[in-house]
Amino acid sequence: METADLSHHISRRFNEDLERVRSKVLGMGGFVEQQLHKAITALIEGDSTLGESVAMDDYQVNNMEVSIDEECSRILATRAPAAGDLRVIVAIIKTITDLERIGDEGEKIGYIASRLATMERPADKYREIKHLGRVVSEMVHDALDAFARMDVESALRVARQDRLVDEEYEAIQRQSITFMMEDPRTIRRALDVMWVVRALERIGDHAKNISEYVIYMVHGKDIRHTSLEDVERELRLGAAAASGVKAAES
Amino acid sequence: MQPATQAWWFAAGRLLGTVLFGLAVGWLFGKPWAGLACALVIHLAWQLVNLFRLEWWLRHRSYADAPDVGGVWGEIISQIVRLHRRKRFHKQRFVQLIRQLQRSTAALPNGVVILNAQREIIWFNRMAARLLDLRRTADLGLRIENLLREPEFARYLAVKDYSNPVVIRPTTGEDCYLSLQVVPYGDGQQLLLVSDVSRQMRLEAVRRDFVANASHELRSPLTVISGYLETLSQDPALDGDLQGPVTEMRRQAERMTGIIRDLLELSRLEETDEVVGGEPLDVPALMSTLRKDVLARAKHPRDVRARVDSDAQLIGDEPEIHSAFSNLVDNAAKYTSPEGSIEMRWWVDDEGAHFSVTDTGMGVPVEHIPRLTERFYRVDAGRSRATGGSGLGLAIVKHVLQRHGAELEVQSVLGSGSTFTCHFPLQRVQQPQAAVTATG
Repeated sequence: METADLSHHISRRFNEDLERVRSKVLGMGGFVEQQLHKAITALIEGDSTLGESVAMDDYQVNNMEVSIDEECSRILATRAPAAGDLRVIVAIIKTITDLERIGDEGEKIGYIASRLATMERPADKYREIKHLGRVVSEMVHDALDAFARMDVESALRVARQDRLVDEEYEAIQRQSITFMMEDPRTIRRALDVMWVVRALERIGDHAKNISEYVIYMVHGKDIRHTSLEDVERELRLGAAAASGVKAAES
Repeated sequence: MQPATQAWWFAAGRLLGTVLFGLAVGWLFGKPWAGLACALVIHLAWQLVNLFRLEWWLRHRSYADAPDVGGVWGEIISQIVRLHRRKRFHKQRFVQLIRQLQRSTAALPNGVVILNAQREIIWFNRMAARLLDLRRTADLGLRIENLLREPEFARYLAVKDYSNPVVIRPTTGEDCYLSLQVVPYGDGQQLLLVSDVSRQMRLEAVRRDFVANASHELRSPLTVISGYLETLSQDPALDGDLQGPVTEMRRQAERMTGIIRDLLELSRLEETDEVVGGEPLDVPALMSTLRKDVLARAKHPRDVRARVDSDAQLIGDEPEIHSAFSNLVDNAAKYTSPEGSIEMRWWVDDEGAHFSVTDTGMGVPVEHIPRLTERFYRVDAGRSRATGGSGLGLAIVKHVLQRHGAELEVQSVLGSGSTFTCHFPLQRVQQPQAAVTATG
């Protein structure tokens, strides 16, 4: 009786710990999202102060990563989680690394934005970057939503979207090359723009990684370096098998 | 006679009849007691059968087709049926009431989310789903801060001061602003109210831009006018009749320049609402400068004192603090007669640092105090214009203090003077190095 109560007590405390860390990860995600949004806005609106403030605030992301990392180590050491709980902790540790990298890329964009703000702006006002930026921001947002909801379907959708980002990246690259050949005076700016686009493309990759961790967390399947079609097929089979087991049980 | 009472009399009569019949039949056969026993057993069996039918009927809950038994049993059954009907009627009324409530909250133009003590989502209406991008059933039980990840909201929850709403700007929407407010109620539950304030925010931005641009545009022509008026007023060839009007024009042009300067400063202060960082400021030195400024005025109160009770430094933006303090001291000087006195005071206690200006001027009626910091607010029409104020001084003070996390407190007695006190939080106070080494 007593032991049952004790284990119940421990598991409840453990759940609270886990929930708190999850909330912290998502809080960090929210901050990173905002950093990214600010960086892109700074670039598009030519706001050098905003760009600088993004670059200055990146240390907060790093602090959050360190603190969450420590908490995860503490949970691993004191609670020795198993199965699903262990997967959650592992996924969190990986997710914060990717979030921190997104923060770094955002810092880079903010820094370049503050530099580009002093230069002449192109006629299209960075329309492509604006579009790509929105797609990538949404990917990060959706990946974190999937993380919060443990929603495999949305996670898969994010992973699928990464292809779109890659295509867009190629297109902007070709366009920039054309510009540079037409007018060599724009090379300096075009190179900076390429850095930004490259950063956005990397952020898309990180968002994809996060959505993969969500699938790992829910299904215990590592889907990195696997083609998406295979993943979907396998997940569907797994779901069918699971429902079959349930049907047999009941 | 009531049917129930009638049924009981009938039942009693029947029992008596059974007993008498049994006794009579038994007496015929010469064994009256055996006859009585037989009759009672038959009676008991009949009651048992009725009891069984009642129980069977209750077990199967077929309220519609109640068994057709007479007597007391029939009465019991009809009572049960009546009870059940009444219960069903009440239940339907409650269900209807709940449906109506749900429909009305669902139709609210604002989003409503009900949260439990762990801030997990229990229920939300359609508008909340639309504004916050929540999903009907899948999102129930999730923590709200996991889905609403904006850092401003996290800060709002961490501070736990729910008296005002917080405005967030979701990163996914284009130029969209949401106002969120938590309303705690009941047993640790919370209500989250959401409304779309994009329109208000845009209007506010347009208004701010307009004021800033208009002031800016007005400044250049005014500079030209003031310049000419100044030359004109110093021209010895100026006609004597024009001397008065020109001086008055010059005075009014100066006043207008002052208003525009204050408007520009206000709109600059409004641009960012965040608390500024800043350098440690030497408040006593600032106070002696302000004292000299007052004494340099043409008409000033005889007695101007600066009382320094602490050598702690204030962390803030130097030009802003200077502007706020000098506005307070200016006001005091303006409304105090030459025989009166002004006292500035700077002190630090457990709650924070305080700067106050006390005058012996005409004072402010109590009902006007809450509105003093509004732009162009006048206690009475003549006052501000006669003294040449812009009507923006206290608005500037309020904004500067807000940006420093400080508050303005006004105490006043009509006819005998006022005290304006600025309360700064402790984190804005820096104890001087010298004092630390002296005590340590």
